[in-house]
Amino acid sequence: MRHLPVIAAAIFTVGAHAETPRDFLARFEKEAGTAASAERGARFFTTKQGGEWSCASCHTDKPTQAGRHAKTDKAITPLAPAANAERFTDAAKVDKWFRRNCNDTLNRVCSAQEKADVMAWLLSLK
Amino acid sequence: MHSEPKPVRVWDMPTRLFHWSLVASFATAFITSESEKLRDIHVAAGYTLAGLIAFRLLWGFVGGGYSRFAEFLPTPQKLVDYLKSLINGNPQHYVGHNPAGAVAIFLLLGFGIVAAASGWATYEDIGGHFMEELHEAAANGMMAIVVIHIVGVIVSSWLHGENLVLAMITGWKKMRSPSHENPAG
Repeated sequence: MRHLPVIAAAIFTVGAHAETPRDFLARFEKEAGTAASAERGARFFTTKQGGEWSCASCHTDKPTQAGRHAKTDKAITPLAPAANAERFTDAAKVDKWFRRNCNDTLNRVCSAQEKADVMAWLLSLK
Repeated sequence: MHSEPKPVRVWDMPTRLFHWSLVASFATAFITSESEKLRDIHVAAGYTLAGLIAFRLLWGFVGGGYSRFAEFLPTPQKLVDYLKSLINGNPQHYVGHNPAGAVAIFLLLGFGIVAAASGWATYEDIGGHFMEELHEAAANGMMAIVVIHIVGVIVSSWLHGENLVLAMITGWKKMRSPSHENPAG
């Protein structure tokens, strides 16, 4: 019975996805083993990395603004946490969309370093 | 004593066209599901799939013989009897859909409707993250049924000594033994 609060907390944590954008920055930095660079993140985000699209092709080079899908022209809500509190609060969602979008822009998965840099830049935007 | 195999007309042309078109549209949608670049193709494949299912629902009522839902509507009793006969090594033979296959068909149609509807909603920004999750769950449900269906086709073809894939292409089955159930029409 004394384990009950621990189990309850674990279930609650899994169910609630209570991450913050800073948690992701910390996680990716830890995985990369080095500090993130917002400047490097900005360059990575706004320039093509070998593919047909850059991140900015859909999210614009000012991700505090709404973006537009490069294929379907559908509106995309702002990516920067300062402009959109829903962004980077759910690990499953974050992992899913990094996987999909890195494949579309780089034809490969992103490294932890690249993700950390992008997070640092997005968090620096006001 | 073996009687001469007798060709039996099982699947009409609309049912066969539906089947292989559904295969093509679902495969296309599944393959393009991970990419935003292929989003147009994915959406087109999804709408095609929805249209095909709408046709099949109609054909299940107005189509002929073995295509009709009434012909292969599975009851719990029929399903249990059929599964028992599989375990006993003396499988009941159905000319049309067997009860296990029938369950799979209705599940596939159901998952297909949910996948198409939730996919449309997601594309139109209705329902948010929940719709996205529902869409993926329904599509994965379809894929699970497809895998079970393919295994069932292989096992059943082997058990009854008939080529079910060929039957879905040509519409004809060669019957070697009297069938378990043989509806008129």
